[in-house]
Amino acid sequence: MSIEQLSDGIFEVVTDDRKILATHNLYPGHSVYGERLMDVDGVEYRQWDPHRSKLGAMVLKGFDIPIEYDSHVLYLGAASGTTVSHVSDILTDGLVYAVEFSPRTMRDLIKLCDQRPNIIPILADANKPRSYAHIVETVDVIFQDVAQPNQAEIAALNSKYFLEDNGHLMLSIKSRSIDTVASPKKIFKDEVKKLESDFGVEFEVLQRKELDPFHEDHLGLLARMFVEDEE
Amino acid sequence: MKAVTWFGTLVISEDGNAEKCCLVEKDPEMLAEHMLLAVGNEELPAHGLDLRELAIGCGFVELEEDYDVLLREVCIRAAKRQISMTDTDDKRIIQAVEAMDDIDKAANELSERLTEWYGIYFPELELTAEPMARFVARFGSRENVPEDHDMFVRASSSMGAELSLVDEDLLRNFAASLCGIYDARKRLERYIMNNMGAVAPNLTNIAGAPLGARLISLAGGLEKLAAFPSSTVQVIGASNALFKHLRSRAPSPKHGVIFNHPLIKGSPWWQRGKMARALASKISLAVRMDAYGGKLDPSIKEKLERKVESIRKAHPEPPKKQSTKVTQPGPGRAGGRPVKKRGGQKKGGMNKGSKNTVDRSGGRPA
Ligand SMILES: C[S@@+](CC[C@H](N)C(=O)[O-])C[C@H]1O[C@@H](n2cnc3c(N)ncnc32)[C@H](O)[C@@H]1O
Repeated sequence: MSIEQLSDGIFEVVTDDRKILATHNLYPGHSVYGERLMDVDGVEYRQWDPHRSKLGAMVLKGFDIPIEYDSHVLYLGAASGTTVSHVSDILTDGLVYAVEFSPRTMRDLIKLCDQRPNIIPILADANKPRSYAHIVETVDVIFQDVAQPNQAEIAALNSKYFLEDNGHLMLSIKSRSIDTVASPKKIFKDEVKKLESDFGVEFEVLQRKELDPFHEDHLGLLARMFVEDEE
Repeated sequence: MKAVTWFGTLVISEDGNAEKCCLVEKDPEMLAEHMLLAVGNEELPAHGLDLRELAIGCGFVELEEDYDVLLREVCIRAAKRQISMTDTDDKRIIQAVEAMDDIDKAANELSERLTEWYGIYFPELELTAEPMARFVARFGSRENVPEDHDMFVRASSSMGAELSLVDEDLLRNFAASLCGIYDARKRLERYIMNNMGAVAPNLTNIAGAPLGARLISLAGGLEKLAAFPSSTVQVIGASNALFKHLRSRAPSPKHGVIFNHPLIKGSPWWQRGKMARALASKISLAVRMDAYGGKLDPSIKEKLERKVESIRKAHPEPPKKQSTKVTQPGPGRAGGRPVKKRGGQKKGGMNKGSKNTVDRSGGRPA
């Protein structure tokens, strides 16, 4: 087995017959969601299942992941932390604010936080950034996977509150939860338009791709935010 | 500008520095409390405040790392508090449902024993289960049955054996314990009725408390139930693995517990399959809302009612065509023995089968 680095903290473990997406395990000896642990030259890696993670799928679909080892990340829709755990692996000197609004799910997420010092759990509704504006600082990256019809609005609002100028927004867009018939192209266009509509923020779209075959009916979007000049 | 942050209330100057800092005591518990109280405060910082810098500027922490460590601890505490405040624990419902099943099993066994035992002394009684237990606990010997009681005539002309005082005492005690068990079952039922609304408001609204509770219990939790597709919801309780919870019920056919819902039981046989699908799909929807902490949304029930109406309108009559295969007695079905196996029957066979098939839906309501 050998290792290839794809971007900060993101690796592919190369075996004879395949490549396995992985991150460097921050909490060695422990698997989070039943994923495989692999030892390569005395370093432990955790397999990252792209079928269970939109971000993992985005990596394999060739997105330039803007998360660096010392980034501050706001993660909206953290669920029980499948993906957050990998983000936590990447952020060896950074922090992730993990927002989730289901108390039940948050219970699992807190267990994960107990093991990992760089996850800050916030039980709140991402529709209401005001309700955690006293907690979350300005961040470098917002990653959002909430699977809600108003996902573009949530992203824009949170970007406005928390994303630094030129910061990156990574968005998983669930097309089924918006419109069942429209083509992916049209959905993208509509969602980007919504992103830029009412909140005085503007985005430059850097990359956009469907997330199949890992996630059907999901689109990935990477954008950079500008703030409109106030006249 | 005044700004409320998780570590205190600040007055911030034009250039973004803190002019005044009113800090919360540096104790995680106090900070967590402040953090939760601050939500909804109008003076939360708007955009672009560097909380970390301000915390250091105010002397709240010395180093960035201290900020991270403290913030994380406080957030975990705050989230834990919020979770324990949201009283939506499905686990206690599961315990109550399973306790009810245990009780049914125990009560069945004990009441059979009592019937057999007391039958020696009063074979004409013809009461069973709870009424019998209440009767024995109250009167003991049939000689104690008063004249104005329904059973008086039978009691005085019974051909049963004499009951000695010692045996009577023993029997009454035994019956009284059994009554206690029936009482406990009623308390559990009430508990489920009273608590399901808080645990799963939408599920309860669609399925009713007893059935909703049973579904949660069979699935192993609200979240797990929410993860099932509605096609699975339709057959929950039918598979062997899940069957142990239902052991005390009548031998159940291949469909799930949702067939105990009045909407299905009360519909003519040819509508039942469609009703089951409609109900299962709305139950799925409701459960998902509940699992994500949703409030009661009456529109789900309204949609179900509309769907039910349209099924009734579209299928007022039984379908004409009858499958000859099923109506002719097959080789395995002669002799009135309980049918163990029927080759080739499909899960969704409810709506297509003959009356024979449908009549097997005799499970007791959950
Ligand atoms: C598709 S799951 C996210 C899975 C997760 N990103 C992962 O890969 O491990 C969507 C999550 O977003 C949460 N969610 C939906 N709407 C939300 C909101 N308005 N605020 C916060 N969380 C929300 C849901 O409770 C759910 O856990």
